[in-house]
Amino acid sequence: MIITFCILSVFIIIGAVSTIRLHNIVYAVFSLMLLFSAIAGIFLLLMAEFVAVAQILIYLGAVGVLILFAVMLTHSVTGSSGKNIYSNGWGWGLLLSLSILFATLLPAIYFSDFPSDPAVEIIEPSVKKLGMEMMHSCVPAMWLIAILLTAALIGGIVIAAPPQKR
Amino acid sequence: MLPLEYILILSAVLFFIGLAGVLIRRHVIIMLICIEMMLNAANINFIAFWRYNPNPELHLGPLFTLFSIAVGGAEAAVGLGLVIAVYRFYNTANADKFDMLKDS
Repeated sequence: MIITFCILSVFIIIGAVSTIRLHNIVYAVFSLMLLFSAIAGIFLLLMAEFVAVAQILIYLGAVGVLILFAVMLTHSVTGSSGKNIYSNGWGWGLLLSLSILFATLLPAIYFSDFPSDPAVEIIEPSVKKLGMEMMHSCVPAMWLIAILLTAALIGGIVIAAPPQKR
Repeated sequence: MLPLEYILILSAVLFFIGLAGVLIRRHVIIMLICIEMMLNAANINFIAFWRYNPNPELHLGPLFTLFSIAVGGAEAAVGLGLVIAVYRFYNTANADKFDMLKDS
């Protein structure tokens, strides 16, 4: 288990670092897809198989293709973004994020007491139970998500549509 | 077996890389991609805490992660629409050039 976790985390770190280091945006999107599939592997390792499938369907399938289309619509299809890819004052941004990592996140993990083993050894794959739970106790959240997705998709179309010629 | 700290450290590092990408890159689409990366780090945390708690039969972790994935998809759609609209206005995707509100 720990060997699988190490391989998957190497893929995740490689995908993330090459996403923010690559000059070509299309290649960055491809390494983002590598990252998403490795995260789906982490979900499988933690026995959340339905979430892993949803991750592959939504992030790899929908969001990845959506970002590729946005690259094609804004940039040239080759996606190259020139010599200088970093913003003005990028050192301050790197310093801020490093300080957040080393001053809050890692000490919080280090000084807390976490279990070293899962309390339950094997969780039975139960999509049926997940669906029953979703349709019983989470119905208001489902309504809110439905309204949010409708509003977001209509709003995205309205924002991205070309302005009307008078 | 795998200690919980390792998964939390992995998601903290992933969150750090996403935050650094938002702050140091100048391309707007890369910034959106890095926001998606931070959302995924949060999802890893949800699933990890659900897996290690003594009562995982309630399936609260996968439920919350599914809702979080749905919100992430909506955010990607609206964000890319905004990117296309802003690109049409400024003719560039460089975030340093978006300075219409700046007093210059």
